[in-house]
Amino acid sequence: MLLLPKFDYEEPRSLPEALAMLSELEGNGKVIAGGTDLLVNMKKGTVAPAFLVSLKKVEGLREIAGQRGGFAIGSHVTVSEIADSDHVGSAFPVLARAASCLGSPLIRNRATIGGNIVTARPAADLPPALIALGAELELKGKDKDRTIALDGFFTGPGSSVMASSEVLTRIIIPSAPPFTGADYIKLGHRAALEIAIVAVASRLTLDKPDGVIVDARVILSSVAPTAIHAVSAEKALTGQRPSEDLFAKAASIAVNDCSPITDMRGGAGYRRDMVNTLVKRTLLRAFNDARDMKGGNA
Amino acid sequence: MKAYNVINTRLPRVDARAKATGEARYAADLSMSGMLYGAMLQSPLAHAKILNIDTSAAKKLPGVRDVVTWKEAGLVKYGVSPARYDEQVFCSDKVRYVGDEVASVAAIDLETAMEAVSLIKVDYEELPVLLDIGSAMAEGAIAIHEDFPGNVSAEVHQEFGNFEEALKECHIVRTDTFTNKRQDGGFLEPQACLARYDLNGNLTLWSSTQSVHYVQRSVAMVLGIPVGKVRVVKPYVGGGFGPKAAVNAMELAACLMSKRTGKPVKMVFSREQVFLHSRARHQFTHELTTGVKKDGTIFALRNVCHLDGGAYSSFGIATIYYAGSLLGAPYKLPNMKYDGYRIYTNKPTCGAQRGHGGVAARAGWEQQLDVIAAELNMDPVEFRLKNMMQTGDVTCNDFNMSSLGMKECLEGVRDGSNWGAKKGKLPKGKGIGVACGFFVSGAGYPIYRSETFHSTATIRLTEDGGGVNLYTAAAEIGQGSDTILGQIAAEALGVSLDDVRVHSGDTDFGVDLGAYSSRQTLMSGHAVKMAAEDTKRKVLEALSEQLNVPVEDMDIARGVIVFKKDRPDFSRLRTLYIKEHRGWADQPSGAELTFREAARVAFITRGVIIGNGAYKPGELGGKYKGAAVGTSPAYGCSAQVVEVTVDTETGKVTIDAMTDAHDCGFAINRTNVEGQMQGSLSMGVGEALFEEVRFDAKGRVLNASLGEYRIPTMLDMPNVKTIIIESDEPNGPFGAKEVGEGAIMPTIPAILNAIYDAVGVRINELPITSERLFAAMKEKQKK
Amino acid sequence: MKKLITFTVNDKEYEVAVAPNRTLTQALRDDLNLLGTKEGCGVGDCGACTVIMDGKPVNSCLVLAVQADGSTIKTIEGVARDDSLHPVQETFVEMGAIQCGFCTPGMILSATSLLEKTPHPTEQEVRQALSGNLCRCTGYQKIVEAVQEASRRMKG
Repeated sequence: MLLLPKFDYEEPRSLPEALAMLSELEGNGKVIAGGTDLLVNMKKGTVAPAFLVSLKKVEGLREIAGQRGGFAIGSHVTVSEIADSDHVGSAFPVLARAASCLGSPLIRNRATIGGNIVTARPAADLPPALIALGAELELKGKDKDRTIALDGFFTGPGSSVMASSEVLTRIIIPSAPPFTGADYIKLGHRAALEIAIVAVASRLTLDKPDGVIVDARVILSSVAPTAIHAVSAEKALTGQRPSEDLFAKAASIAVNDCSPITDMRGGAGYRRDMVNTLVKRTLLRAFNDARDMKGGNA
Repeated sequence: MKAYNVINTRLPRVDARAKATGEARYAADLSMSGMLYGAMLQSPLAHAKILNIDTSAAKKLPGVRDVVTWKEAGLVKYGVSPARYDEQVFCSDKVRYVGDEVASVAAIDLETAMEAVSLIKVDYEELPVLLDIGSAMAEGAIAIHEDFPGNVSAEVHQEFGNFEEALKECHIVRTDTFTNKRQDGGFLEPQACLARYDLNGNLTLWSSTQSVHYVQRSVAMVLGIPVGKVRVVKPYVGGGFGPKAAVNAMELAACLMSKRTGKPVKMVFSREQVFLHSRARHQFTHELTTGVKKDGTIFALRNVCHLDGGAYSSFGIATIYYAGSLLGAPYKLPNMKYDGYRIYTNKPTCGAQRGHGGVAARAGWEQQLDVIAAELNMDPVEFRLKNMMQTGDVTCNDFNMSSLGMKECLEGVRDGSNWGAKKGKLPKGKGIGVACGFFVSGAGYPIYRSETFHSTATIRLTEDGGGVNLYTAAAEIGQGSDTILGQIAAEALGVSLDDVRVHSGDTDFGVDLGAYSSRQTLMSGHAVKMAAEDTKRKVLEALSEQLNVPVEDMDIARGVIVFKKDRPDFSRLRTLYIKEHRGWADQPSGAELTFREAARVAFITRGVIIGNGAYKPGELGGKYKGAAVGTSPAYGCSAQVVEVTVDTETGKVTIDAMTDAHDCGFAINRTNVEGQMQGSLSMGVGEALFEEVRFDAKGRVLNASLGEYRIPTMLDMPNVKTIIIESDEPNGPFGAKEVGEGAIMPTIPAILNAIYDAVGVRINELPITSERLFAAMKEKQKK
Repeated sequence: MKKLITFTVNDKEYEVAVAPNRTLTQALRDDLNLLGTKEGCGVGDCGACTVIMDGKPVNSCLVLAVQADGSTIKTIEGVARDDSLHPVQETFVEMGAIQCGFCTPGMILSATSLLEKTPHPTEQEVRQALSGNLCRCTGYQKIVEAVQEASRRMKG
């Protein structure tokens, strides 16, 4: 039996109570949602928070609501709810696809979208798709609320701009322009229970089905301390007429945008090569979806 | 083949219901009143002198009942083979790997025990750490064991025929080097045990083990308790695959602390501790030189093998022999030279794992044979068929293939996979590959030098009702031995499986060397068959007296007495039976005399009916050094065809289809045989594509988890088309021989050969990760 | 400081005092003596600890007992109904889907949960739904076949 260290556990009954509690705990408290990352690390001994705060009783964190053509997703919505949601699947298939890649069905039934964001793991499955979709985060604090872009949220492995006394309440996904398509590919060793060796989310917006690319987002993950834009690839795509050659060119440029390391899961050189392959493939799929989508679909 | 009533069927396993409902009790499920929980202190360093161990703070912690080190455990050395007893319960002078046991604690709960462990202070003086064969064998390298300067844990040199001479007749001579990686058993149930030393000085150890017998002997020897006062019982076991076939320090520590405290002590491995304990597959490096004549006759083989053994010997002394002896067959090979070296390193100890020393060697050799076949412009299946041994042939190292359905296996997979339509005709990126293999059906000799029977079995009929209690020390670890031993008993006695209750895995029931070297179907099966026949004879003898019919004119089958000549008048016996059972609703009736009645008569006239069986193999094998390892009463064999798709842009391999044919002699339970085939193949797929244990520069296991040590998931494993070949083994009970380990042999090379067929790349290092294959394809493109 | 939790397990209500750091696996095994739920790794890598929590199969080793306050849990002990096995249990037994049995409780729970949502799953859907449950013994094939046969039997 793998034991957890000792800690105190609280279930505040409202968001203000929770925020006051976290503020008072001054960093000694962590929110526990699905626990599939936090409890694993506590068992391994890498973290040992003195207090775990559960927002089980706090309302307003568990809905997927339509909002101005996009979505507002509560931070405690589980990854399997996202993967199985028809709404999400038809409006933002890339997000449903990313969600269905995470861990295993058992993990997905507990892991939350909020947890997958705030744990700030470089290989997390939802952030690349969310960044590509232009997601924003609603953060609430005891004295101050703010809404910030997910893009720029991560500052390094395990760290973000979020304060320990803040709570992520909702993730806002704006509506997508017409003729937008997106794709996410995760490369792992096995077909389940994997942390990505490399993953890529790409999104393309065309001005018309047979037109040019007006917006390109290529998000690379597991090849830098955080998920990043393949900036030069995005530049190479914008304003161009889509073609397989263009995508191949953008993919090879994307390789220079990343700085992968060699670790247990893969070597740096291989990761660079896989950025090439995955960018090319996600762009192709994103393009095919974009062509077919009149009402914004990503 | 003869028609049988109980065997060769698909009867559900006798323990399946208990497992399906959650009633089955594994070692970690056991508890007793007053039980203490044990925890282990293990070395954080890979190689260091122990200067001092201070347990005073640990002992003072409230709730702690015992703290033990080598001072309490003693210095008796143990291991697997007496020729290499190099382990102690706890380290005394030094630690030799990260995970080496230094002390243990028994306390009122696990949290307290673990806290106490953290309070034990050990002063170490670090020593140079040797993490690979090169450093361990280097001039001037520190000796990990004083008695083994140069760190050669074992060395084998064998030659059969004359390799150098034979090469002169060979048209093609090819040398390849092949290496796999250290693996882990990957069984779902971590080791666990409960030890109870009672007030009469009798010790009972319940443990997740593959061999109650070997554990019993080790516990008795190490702790100085008479064997007769040590009982080892195996509860349900959640897989073993080799690493659980010998005693571990946790079992010894729990027994010791129970003896000292007078309380039951329970200890359980965490998953990380499973990796630190290891005793799993070695890393093998084989340099193989094969010579083939112009007409495609395989004529000479030189095999030089280096094993990275880890810090102690465990089964490694057998591994180093198997790494040589398990090549040659199933092909005719008159000239074979083998040089093997097992090297100590400062890493967890390696031992035996499914297929033992044969898996890596097989993988390298079967790939090399494919290369040679291609050079000869021969189809790989035809090349193998041409060289195939036949039933009755003897290998150059004296293995007698008393039954060998190898041709049938190979033709079976060739036809079953539609090889002819696919080989050479698949689009680029898709490939098909074939390989063969064989394995022992039980080690010919026990791991300790002895004249002991390898398996005993006792059958005790109930005094009423015709119930059959089978007692065996054989270990059901998930492979299905309880079921097939019950079936063998039922068939040989003439009753149904429902009438038999199997009691197994307890040293109080007899001697059985346990579940390793794929031995139980043949060896335990023989003992059980003998016991059943002995029981039958006793019942018939009693009937013979009562009915005045000679024993040889009677038999028992399907629960009734069979009279080969005229049926006698047995009404007197029935009347007696009915009179004794006034009030019973189901009195015997009908024309047949039932076994129920006959068993009752036997008891009344003779007393308790007990049948005994005991098996040891006859004289086996050659007279050369090491002949004992690999010699066996029988050999299972198999062939496999694998089809793959390679994603050339990522290097990912998808296994599309597998066709497997295994000659198990005779299938006692057809579902069980298929299950062992499919399970073996899934382990082979894992070892081929994903599995390796990795270390950092300080000798710490980097991936001691099932998340980072990757065994196949349900999405990684394809369906396997299974073909059972039954060659009717004369040395096996009802013709049966092994399937549990042999089936894995062709898997890795069939995958390797299929990958070559798909993308033209030869991989000589496992696992074939997408990264490794991608790099190899990239390299090939440059040329 | 222990917390008092109330939860329903296999249709029976329990009230248990648990320390915050007690996992649901521990509470089921040590407090309720339901030993069918196993611990294979403790970190969500293997699925041996699978239970159904509020209708969804989860790794109980990654659920705090306190988080299960107010929940409805089903363990392997709650699958059979009044002495008769669930069709999934029957097919597992009959078709060789059980070898060592350690992964079996988790497999059966994931399978019954799947069949409730998807009564006639394809082979791929079965493999996908059970992909969080590792097995080292069977190679998975007979498990998949048993789940599909159970779905056929449950049709009528």
